[in-house]
Amino acid sequence: MVNLNANVSSIVPSADKATLQVGKTITERADFTKAAKAIGQFISEVDDIQHSSDMSIKDLLTGKNNDIASVVSAVAKADMSFKLLVGVRNKLIEAYKQTVNMQL
Amino acid sequence: MDVNDVFGTIDIAVSGMRAQGKNMEVISSNVANVRSTDAGKGEPYRRLEAVLKAETDGISSVTVADIAKDMGNFNSIYDPGNPQADENGYVAMPNVNLPIEIMNLNIATRTYQANVAILKRYQQMVETTLELLR
Repeated sequence: MVNLNANVSSIVPSADKATLQVGKTITERADFTKAAKAIGQFISEVDDIQHSSDMSIKDLLTGKNNDIASVVSAVAKADMSFKLLVGVRNKLIEAYKQTVNMQL
Repeated sequence: MDVNDVFGTIDIAVSGMRAQGKNMEVISSNVANVRSTDAGKGEPYRRLEAVLKAETDGISSVTVADIAKDMGNFNSIYDPGNPQADENGYVAMPNVNLPIEIMNLNIATRTYQANVAILKRYQQMVETTLELLR
């Protein structure tokens, strides 16, 4: 089950590090790769949930499983986590565009 | 069961739906066997009842702990022509009371609907929260 806990402090570089230590770009880059890795992990977790909901629908249709409630639960979870993923993706792309269009 | 995350409400609501579904299965068995004079053990069908149980103390999903038999007295009807009648002309009938079963069915249906309503409302709520990302 994916943990959608809103605690992002582990993936976000801490504010004092960014403002006080300008020379420490290496650690900041490491933090960014950490964030990218966390997002990649999140995507694969969402994919797992999608996959299990797919399998439960398939099992229902082929008659292997006739518990509709479990299918409903799997689909609801997949729907919810996918919507969160889309929200995060949109936010990321927006941030990228803002960075690219920045006046230098 | 760990319910301390966003999917907890979904799991609990679905467990309620599942439990009430089982409850309806029990009720349908009772209604179908309302005139079954033989349940294989030399006595009429005994009314069944689903025993629901909270999985843990505190916030918890629900499970069907047991399908218990109603040990109340059998109904007996006067039908001397019936081949199963005793020497006084009475036939033992299941201890199923149809109006009560229909009442229980109504309760089960409403509870099921309430669980579905919670599931729907929770999904809406999460979607509303995700709108903040836009």
